[in-house]
Amino acid sequence: MRSALGWVAAAVLLSAVAFFLSGYYNDVYRKLLLWIALALSYNFLFGISGQVAFSHFAFYGIGAYAVVIFLFQLGMPLPLAILAGVLVCSAIALIVAIPSTRLEGFYLALATLALAQLFIVVLNEGGAVTGGTGGLVNYRLPAIFGVYITGPWYTAVIVILVLGTYALLRHLDRSWFGRACRAVRDNPEAAAAMGVNVARTKVIAFTLTSVLAGIAGMVYAFVDNTVNPPIFGLENAFLLLFMVIIGGSGRHAGAIVGAVLLYLLPFVLSPLIGHHHALVFGALMVVVILLQPRGLIGLYDRYPRGQKAH
Amino acid sequence: MRDLLELSVSAAASGCIYALVALAYLLMIRPTGVINFAVGEWAMVGAFGGFLLLSKYEWPYALGMAAVLGFMLLVGWITERIAVRPLVERGAPLLAAILALLGMLVVFREGISLGFGPDPHQVPEPVSFEYLKLFVIGATLVVFAAVWLFFERTLWGKAFEAVALNRRAAALMGIDLRRVTVASFAGGAAAAGLAGLLVAPNTSAHYLMGVPLAIQGFTALVIGGVGRVEGALLGGLLVAFAEQLTVRYAPLPSGYAQGVPLLLLMLFLLVRPTGLLRARA
Repeated sequence: MRSALGWVAAAVLLSAVAFFLSGYYNDVYRKLLLWIALALSYNFLFGISGQVAFSHFAFYGIGAYAVVIFLFQLGMPLPLAILAGVLVCSAIALIVAIPSTRLEGFYLALATLALAQLFIVVLNEGGAVTGGTGGLVNYRLPAIFGVYITGPWYTAVIVILVLGTYALLRHLDRSWFGRACRAVRDNPEAAAAMGVNVARTKVIAFTLTSVLAGIAGMVYAFVDNTVNPPIFGLENAFLLLFMVIIGGSGRHAGAIVGAVLLYLLPFVLSPLIGHHHALVFGALMVVVILLQPRGLIGLYDRYPRGQKAH
Repeated sequence: MRDLLELSVSAAASGCIYALVALAYLLMIRPTGVINFAVGEWAMVGAFGGFLLLSKYEWPYALGMAAVLGFMLLVGWITERIAVRPLVERGAPLLAAILALLGMLVVFREGISLGFGPDPHQVPEPVSFEYLKLFVIGATLVVFAAVWLFFERTLWGKAFEAVALNRRAAALMGIDLRRVTVASFAGGAAAAGLAGLLVAPNTSAHYLMGVPLAIQGFTALVIGGVGRVEGALLGGLLVAFAEQLTVRYAPLPSGYAQGVPLLLLMLFLLVRPTGLLRARA
């Protein structure tokens, strides 16, 4: 009961912020929330389940495009379009994940890199279905029970997405499944010996987090009311990885810190180095891996406060 | 018939480029187990080196090529010292080195884009255009023959193989692991840089050219099998032929050729995950 109240309070508080922000800052706030949602689910995939994948941002795009195409090209009602989008994301995730688990090593990384690259090609070459290089524009979120959700109220929808993602992943992390994922990450042989089905655990974690990215993409589709290929470029897949590693992989708080920091840093850096902030991020990531593999959260842990021995 | 011959030559030339990238991966994976995704960006650095020396300063081709390859050896050496050795010495997991190299990948790409701008740059061809493909094939064959001889005939090559088979045993036999690792990175960077230099007259040097090459090269490696040098060549040729035949005969926009490596990768992981050629015991 108390925890339920806590969640409601967090939702109200985070949504209330939106009502005090003007147009531009509201937009920044929404994108920040979406990055946090993505970083949280990517952290479960990379940090907790130990799979290096570059497809997470592509699934964000797949979800966004899927819901728009199902709604406005095929004329589906909203709930059906969302369901169909989820099915598309899971199907693609399964097709990529199942062959990739056949071998030890980093084959998933390559397969997902190729998938992310192919996704952009399909968007550009997709003709009328994907709108080609211009993408899809001029649509709006259909009325839900006769109400059009706009402005700060839509920000509240994004807040619910973030909190829902966080609640689900936190619950999973503390469950049998989360422990199985960590075991598979740390020592697959030992995990298998303890009766964990390694391949199945990996495939489920990959599919689940990819669907979460897809759902975040569906929410994103109505933030700018346009989807186009440049938004879903490969550099964002790297950015997600950097967020999780720099923040502290395997920790929800780390993912949030990383997402907030790397999302806001370009606003500070752009007067100095233009749009080349990725250069700073890449260097920062190398430094973090070399000096503090547990990320910024690792620094915070080392800071002496009380005695919480790890 | 003539059409098919032209297609074969052009596919063989692209296949050789992929094979060189696959070779770069292989040189590093065999002794260290590290998959270095930055090989694509190394190829890009090689291409920009070609632009700088051959187009801008108009050096003679052979001299420029030698300078680029020498520079790439240095790039590989420095990359290993920065992003791999400190982690290996600390006993960090393999993944840490792979991630650090991913960070380096972005540093390379953004550094080049900062220095040269986002526009493509022309790189001159070494021989007149109609012989360019044959030159690429010839140069690749020379490199593969040299690498093959190195592994089969020289003591250093044996040391590499020994490290690939069993790091601990090799170290106990007095092989310097650090030297083998740094040499494998330098060699990998040179192979990747050569691939970039050879592909650049066709595609121009562009800061985003790395990722497709990294994907195609790795697919070639998986298809050929990571155990054998010849596998990289075979895999590269197979990927290129599959791509060219798709573009030629499938009723799809040519951009979809980029999907061919992914399909091949999935297929081989399902059907024959060890690749076509097995490592010799």
